[in-house]
Amino acid sequence: MPQTSPLIEMRQLVKRYGEKAAVDGVSLEVHAGEIFGFLGPNGAGKTTTIKVIVGLLQPTSGTVRVGGHDVQKEPLQAKASSGYVPDEPHLYPKLTGRELLRFVGNLYGVTGEQVERRIDELLRLFDLAPAADDTIDSYSHGMRQKTALAAALVHDPKVLVLDEPTVGLDPKSARLIKDLLRQMAERGAAVFLSTHILEIAENMCDRIGIINQGRLIASGTMAELRSLGKGESSLEDIFLSLTGGAEYAEIAEVLR
Amino acid sequence: MSLAPPQPSSGVWPAAWKLLRLRLLISVNTFRRARWRSKLGTIILVLVVGGLMAFAFYATRLLLGFLRSPEFTAGVPDAAAFVNGLPVVILGTAFLGILLTSFGVLLQALYLAGDMDFLLSAPIPMRAVFLTKLLQAILPNFGLVCLVALPLLFGLGSVGGYNGAYYLLVVVALAALALAAAGLSSLLVMSIVRLFPARRVAEILGFIGAVVSILCSQSGQLANFSNVSGDQMLGAANLVARFNTPWSPLAWAGRGLVQIGEGHWVSGVGLLGLTFGFAGLAFGIALVSAERLYYTGWASLSGKQKRKKAPRPARAAHRRPLMAHAGRSLPSPVRAIISKDFAVLRRDLRNMSQMITPIILGIIYTVMLIRGGGEPPPGQGEAPEWFMSGFRNLLDYGNIAIALFVGWMLLQRLAAMGFSHEGRYYWLLKTAPVSASQLLASKFAVAYLPALALGWGFMLVLSLAQHASLATAASSFLIVGFCLAAVTSVNLAFGVAGAVFDWEDPRQMLRGSSGCLSTLASAICLPVCLAFFLGPVFGAVLLGEPELAGQVIGLALGGLVSTACALIPLFLVRSRVPRLAEG
Repeated sequence: MPQTSPLIEMRQLVKRYGEKAAVDGVSLEVHAGEIFGFLGPNGAGKTTTIKVIVGLLQPTSGTVRVGGHDVQKEPLQAKASSGYVPDEPHLYPKLTGRELLRFVGNLYGVTGEQVERRIDELLRLFDLAPAADDTIDSYSHGMRQKTALAAALVHDPKVLVLDEPTVGLDPKSARLIKDLLRQMAERGAAVFLSTHILEIAENMCDRIGIINQGRLIASGTMAELRSLGKGESSLEDIFLSLTGGAEYAEIAEVLR
Repeated sequence: MSLAPPQPSSGVWPAAWKLLRLRLLISVNTFRRARWRSKLGTIILVLVVGGLMAFAFYATRLLLGFLRSPEFTAGVPDAAAFVNGLPVVILGTAFLGILLTSFGVLLQALYLAGDMDFLLSAPIPMRAVFLTKLLQAILPNFGLVCLVALPLLFGLGSVGGYNGAYYLLVVVALAALALAAAGLSSLLVMSIVRLFPARRVAEILGFIGAVVSILCSQSGQLANFSNVSGDQMLGAANLVARFNTPWSPLAWAGRGLVQIGEGHWVSGVGLLGLTFGFAGLAFGIALVSAERLYYTGWASLSGKQKRKKAPRPARAAHRRPLMAHAGRSLPSPVRAIISKDFAVLRRDLRNMSQMITPIILGIIYTVMLIRGGGEPPPGQGEAPEWFMSGFRNLLDYGNIAIALFVGWMLLQRLAAMGFSHEGRYYWLLKTAPVSASQLLASKFAVAYLPALALGWGFMLVLSLAQHASLATAASSFLIVGFCLAAVTSVNLAFGVAGAVFDWEDPRQMLRGSSGCLSTLASAICLPVCLAFFLGPVFGAVLLGEPELAGQVIGLALGGLVSTACALIPLFLVRSRVPRLAEG
């Protein structure tokens, strides 16, 4: 584990909806230069955890610090240091891609020539320049996803939080995102991403956390996770072993 | 385990029945799982509607009884023709009403509903999907038509002593005409969607609908009914008889029903048969065409959305928004939100259609005020002079009332829905480093500035038309500015309290209770603020003091109260803003 101060730090995070605990006592750290993969079955609490990190939800108890700032006590400072890409890229349909990026840049205090230069860079990088002045309602899902990612990068955040970033992307765009995240980590950013594509987690992430029923049941490098399992070597086997694979066997039986 | 291969639904009608049954099941489940308050509300609504229908039935009987009375027929020689023409007018209006109103509903149901991917990928005949959507879409309109037409037509039958077949055939004729109208309307929808994107058509239609409906509803304000003569009334009544011409297909159903009711079976059945034949033909053509038109329209829907637009001029790429120049002193996030909101409001015709109402109303009331020449209506002439004088003084400030009314109406949309308007896109603001105060300030500006511009625009026109003095005009402009700030704040505060972000339909942007409370609170706030501004002015006039002194005192008092009203509500809801959209 890198010996830097963590850019994302969670301590005993709990988020309840009535009686149900969507996140139940999760503690973890993500350091600068690290890509952290967050895995878990559907409804395990991944998106809720992410929403607490980026300030979309307030935790029931526990603390979350982003960029060294408590998300509850210093929300503006914490938000200023992070960028977020949601699982569904809901973007203002009547703004053009360029206008959206300028809007987000201005929200984060990036203005003038600086934001224009950054917008041009990002539009070129994501191959969005030809559609930059079209309204977003004419964009495909993949283009929206890339626009959301560009919006998250416009202020060059220290912390990047992504919820299923490669869903709906073509292989070229997915590869671009993987390379980009790696570059960001190399430049000292902390990347926190949730994914269902275990190949991405296995190949890209420095450390992986597995959440099930709101609890973080495993966390560590691939080697550390392997040591937790019962001799499984692939992340898929480790994941199924930790989260329970019995129901998958049942499904396979039904479909046979 | 192995399952038998699924059998596709072969017939149109069995498949349509399956889909309709599914819709019925969803409706029943929705009612069952609703809160008891909602259930009770639905039951009360049904009872009220039933009561209204019964009332309309008895009122029609009374009215038609009078129209057939010897006293009336002695004065109006064509009374019988008028009464016999009523079914023709009612059925013709029902047909035209459904034809016009079902266009938008069908557009939504056939092309913009969320379940189309599921339905079109299932092994169900295309015609069945079309038929189900058509029936679902026209059912509410048909229900409304029946609500009005059935009591009238049954009342007519009851007064005329028509036989039982009349009552049964009234319902059948209404249903046939509704299906024919919906069929024709659907053909129009399917044809238009082949040419233009469905969403754009829906936006334009919403805008035109809003303009037409508000113009129709308010045109009576401009009409001068006090000078209508008896001859003009008779002429209007004769119009009804003119609809009842034998060559008009729209008249056949009504004439046929009357003939059957009176026992003239052959001619009645002939006319109704013609009606049903034409209705069946129109519906049949729609159904047959649907297979091709509907699918190609639907299939090209996503392609049209993705169609590339013509490239904009190069300078557009680096064009700076107006706000960037206008408000350098504002924090960057506030400027960004204001600029974004103005762009979004301007480009979405759905917003424009919601905001056009105050402008039209303002124009109508401005015309009325100018036409009145600043003189109060004389009435019976019994009002004392001091009352008329006060009324005259009040009318001098009528421009303020119009400006505030227009601004108040606009703020119901802009301020009360300022936050809800963000919808599913609110995450962009919530994850950004924008404080609650900055958010409130930007939403306040987005609502206040257009309302102020509109209010001042109306006031400028009225002040010029009324040749208002400079002092009165300046004071009026300030009063409008302060009062609208107070109303903006009240509406915005209720908008925060009742914000909804997961809406699909813009009409669901605000929780019902918050919407009502916001309207009520702002409607109370406005006259209270105005009273502080204008009270001293009228007081000064009554006491024989200079009006200018009253204006100055009024501005000071009203200014204080309005500023308090503008600050306190926002202060009270400031702590709620960070928790918005947390479900």
